[in-house]
Amino acid sequence: MAIIRLSYASLNVTDLDQAEQHYTQVVGLRTTGKSPGRVYLQAPDSQDHHCLVLNASDRAGLCHLGLKVSVPEDLDEAAERAAQAGLKVERMAAGDLLGQGEGVVITLPSAHRINLFHYSETIGYEGGMRDPDVVLEHVDGINPVSHLDHTLLVCANPEATIRFLRDVLDFNLSECGTAPDGSMFLGFLSAGNTMHQLAIAPGPDGGLHHIAFYVGDRADVIRRTDLLKHRGVPTLEYGVTRHGVAGVTTVYFFDPAGNRNEFQCGAYETSGASGRVPPINWDLPSLGAATFYYEAAVPEQFYTVVS
Amino acid sequence: MALKHKGITRIGYVRLALNDTQLEQARSFYANTLGMVQTANAPGQLLLRCWHEPYAFSLAIDSASENRLSEVGFQVREEADLDAVAARLEQGGIAVAWAEADAELPGLGRSLSFAIPGGHRLRLFVDMVQPGYETGYDAPHWVTPRRLRGTPAPQFLNHVGICVPDPKATIAFLKQYLGFYVSELIEDAQGAPLSALMFRMTKNVGGQELAIFPGPEGALHHIAFTKDDASDILVDGQYLRADGVRLDSFGPTRQPYGNTFSLHFFDPFGTRLELCTGGRLAEPHPGFVPVTWSESNIAGALSYYDDVDVEPFLAPSFAAAA
Repeated sequence: MAIIRLSYASLNVTDLDQAEQHYTQVVGLRTTGKSPGRVYLQAPDSQDHHCLVLNASDRAGLCHLGLKVSVPEDLDEAAERAAQAGLKVERMAAGDLLGQGEGVVITLPSAHRINLFHYSETIGYEGGMRDPDVVLEHVDGINPVSHLDHTLLVCANPEATIRFLRDVLDFNLSECGTAPDGSMFLGFLSAGNTMHQLAIAPGPDGGLHHIAFYVGDRADVIRRTDLLKHRGVPTLEYGVTRHGVAGVTTVYFFDPAGNRNEFQCGAYETSGASGRVPPINWDLPSLGAATFYYEAAVPEQFYTVVS
Repeated sequence: MALKHKGITRIGYVRLALNDTQLEQARSFYANTLGMVQTANAPGQLLLRCWHEPYAFSLAIDSASENRLSEVGFQVREEADLDAVAARLEQGGIAVAWAEADAELPGLGRSLSFAIPGGHRLRLFVDMVQPGYETGYDAPHWVTPRRLRGTPAPQFLNHVGICVPDPKATIAFLKQYLGFYVSELIEDAQGAPLSALMFRMTKNVGGQELAIFPGPEGALHHIAFTKDDASDILVDGQYLRADGVRLDSFGPTRQPYGNTFSLHFFDPFGTRLELCTGGRLAEPHPGFVPVTWSESNIAGALSYYDDVDVEPFLAPSFAAAA
């Protein structure tokens, strides 16, 4: 069958305790496991073991992404196809990450590593699986984030990675950016019916632009932005804004190591089938509004700062 | 292709028969009050879609002598999926019917239909004509088109609730033959399912494309449309009331069952409609575990806010007219 969704991000951080505090207190994840040099966290409305793995490191950035497949046989198929495409393929043993089965690790043309896996231990929703209460009061009275929604990766040649994800791994391209020479420099791709789980943009190979968490509604984005400012968490200079791409309401901020985070919400649904609906296209002159709809401009650091 | 999505990828449309000779009342309600886009104007038939949907229709209404749910349509990945489902159904002794493109509904490709336990007809198809996004494909604003502003103008068909006499049988069938998963269910004291939310899609306002409720055979419970935001739904309730629309007993509420923020209301024919947002992103994966609700807690599961009798909400659409 197929990849069904972006399941977790494994991030490098320079201070594990500080990072854990950020992702539990500011983002609202729960710590679900610890091993030497690693902390595992999960969002309240996801039932697998983790959506975020923090690795103690000497610099920030992406270690790898975890993508969940629907049947175990997908792993060997993916390994074979990736090798045919000339990509490096490694294996991750069951238990290498807490609560997770074996995986196939593919190094994308962009130099990012993705780990395809089938099994995760189920820990359940934070509110429980039986008659759960709606309210979880652990982030200043507002409901915590729902789930890890997407990540934006940067690389020198976005089109090569976009094509691999679309043509080999069956991701659906919902929106894209096209340069005057016709090449794709920006791609938004989903393995499900959301607008994107992975986005690919120009930048240094292996770079992480951000990881995004889905929140309940716009009021949550506003309240969370108030709290980010109140706590002195570094945020995008525009504060609450809207992406022209996808039309979602959003705010960006940074974890203590310098990995960019996003809170965002929006109901955009896609067909769930690659190639069925033509992608939305953004050309270079529209990039300001595509990125920040209200301001119709992009601060320099939004392009240049990646981890 | 190594990794390929197969089977049902999307809820496509719901088809109703309404007792409205010229369909003028239906057109007025769905286009002007609810804010859907009318895509075709054939005698005796009304086709509508949401402004964010690229496909020809997500709601088809036929003029008829009585109000009823005709069928629910689901899109599958490819022709081989239709053959695979047909083979499974025929092996199970379930009659299937094929229809050529445009034979059942204009713009609908070749399709396969069958009845599920509970009496409802489902139709699977690969293709549907795409008039395209209302806001275009080049640097779109993704803003509600001007002529629809001041109405709810929902973005997508989200799910259809159906009433069935034997929920357990219907749930088992949808799992076995169509690969649906259960995201949430309500169990009676003996552990038998009374109701279930079932899905195939991973969408943010997620967890259900079909909602199963106990009730009379073949009946419709409700049709739900996706909205971006809870605060929009509060304002939409104002637009609806200002147009004289009858709201269901809860008013705007948090529905813990499905984790949505929802508003239920009725069209002029007694069709129960819902605007919903929130939900939970669910994963079509064998390891996925549903949330389970106790029947003894059903009032709290259906509305977090309201202390009202839930019986009227559990009645099917058109109940007042029946």
